[in-house]
Amino acid sequence: MSGHGGAPAIRVRGLGHTYTGQTAPALSDVSFEVAPGEVVAVLGPSGAGKTTLFRCVTQLIEVEQGIVEVAGRRLGELRGRELGFARREVGLIFQQFNLVRRLTAEQNVLAGRLGHVPTWRVLSRRFDQGDRALALSCLARVGLSDQAGQRADRLSGGQQQRVAIARVLAQQSSLVLADEPVASLDPTSATHVLETLRGVARERGIAVLSSLHQVDLATRFADRIVGLREGRVMVDRPAAAFGAADYVLTFDRPRPAVPPPPDGDERTRGRAVDSSTSLRITR
Amino acid sequence: MLVAALLGVYGVSIRLADVDPAALLEGLPRMAEWVGRSWPPDTTDLGLLLLRAAETAAIALVGTTLAAVLALVSCTMAARNLTPSAFVRLPTRWLLNTLRGIDSFVFAILFVAAVGLGPFAGVLGVALHTWGSMAKLFAESIEDLPAGPLDAVRLTGASRVKLVSYALVPDALPGLSSIGLYMLEFNVRTSTVLGIVGAGGIGLELKNSLDLLNFPRLLTVIIIILLMVTAVDQLSSRLRRRLA
Repeated sequence: MSGHGGAPAIRVRGLGHTYTGQTAPALSDVSFEVAPGEVVAVLGPSGAGKTTLFRCVTQLIEVEQGIVEVAGRRLGELRGRELGFARREVGLIFQQFNLVRRLTAEQNVLAGRLGHVPTWRVLSRRFDQGDRALALSCLARVGLSDQAGQRADRLSGGQQQRVAIARVLAQQSSLVLADEPVASLDPTSATHVLETLRGVARERGIAVLSSLHQVDLATRFADRIVGLREGRVMVDRPAAAFGAADYVLTFDRPRPAVPPPPDGDERTRGRAVDSSTSLRITR
Repeated sequence: MLVAALLGVYGVSIRLADVDPAALLEGLPRMAEWVGRSWPPDTTDLGLLLLRAAETAAIALVGTTLAAVLALVSCTMAARNLTPSAFVRLPTRWLLNTLRGIDSFVFAILFVAAVGLGPFAGVLGVALHTWGSMAKLFAESIEDLPAGPLDAVRLTGASRVKLVSYALVPDALPGLSSIGLYMLEFNVRTSTVLGIVGAGGIGLELKNSLDLLNFPRLLTVIIIILLMVTAVDQLSSRLRRRLA
């Protein structure tokens, strides 16, 4: 399905969830896989179940129906220390970046090591040489070496999101969940962040599962698109093959008339006028 | 209907509080006479009075610091975002509300009986009441922090101690320090009267001077209190502005 081979980083089989007091399930019979190094975009109208899906994978909701396996471990059967170990395997990227505002960029990246580091080192802020070198190399990978000592709340939104990417790199997760990672960013920063995310996924064999609400970004940056509607998987196909019919299946309405911007140099396109128009319409 | 109820409450309250303007009018000339007799302030005991003022400040500082340590430990157990379990959080809140509900003055009376006259009883009184107030304010301040960064760090697999020390303390510290300074300011004012029940500080001299009807000395005491309270308020508000 993915073309990357090897065991999937995440395997979801028949996942269902119904919130207490609700009759309609938030998720029903959801199945898909993401291979190492693969970027999968989850599309769908609001209320389609994207948030519920993410909450199941991060174990904020107990998996009651179906199977979720991350790095070969089945979620829902783990407690205490084992749960902590399983959580380390899943790195998270949030719409609001969620950095600790008064810590520096480097300290925020080191937060990705908290699951690995002994408590006394965290209390005394004395990380060992290996962890510090790792944090700096992760910052370098996202192009922010020069901002290592800058406080997080002094960075731009795009820079903060790249620090958050460096944080999941430092965490050395095999799976990254990104919840609307560029919804709060301008088009140029959004492009830069998604390029970075796709780049690190390729290099390090990290599986990325990202919700996006802009279809043109999904088709440009994802390898595969999973379309969710009313808690069901309506579409699961390579991003290049995601067509008008798939859009209707996912969103239950035709795609707006203005086509996505033509392929070209992404950096210049982010600044172009027609690109911002198309973003407004596809949103 | 509401207006009638309010008027009723006020009517009853005024009766209960024994409000008597005639008595005030009668008393005013007597107070005016005291003010006249208190000038010029008596500075013969100035050394002793300043020592008592320093004692008052010390009670406030030691009591507030003790309370801050206790509050820091207990506030995480009272904050909803750090302690979702009601089994831990509610009993912690009950304890803190009880401490907060009993004034430093009342605690001081109890501690004078338990550990004897002197400033130490005042320190314990201030510490216990402030613990309750401060932990409640700390917990509210922590609950107001954005949830996102805490969730992000919790989901890296960090334990509770790591989460609090690494992700919570840096963002919470300015708010908590500001609350601590505010409580210190408040306790300097509280500590000025603790001496009345024998719990140390300048309140003791306030009561002595009044008992002896030594108004010039009383005026000196009042001036010292005003200067000390104003100085501490100024210092604390300046520090708090720098934290913001």
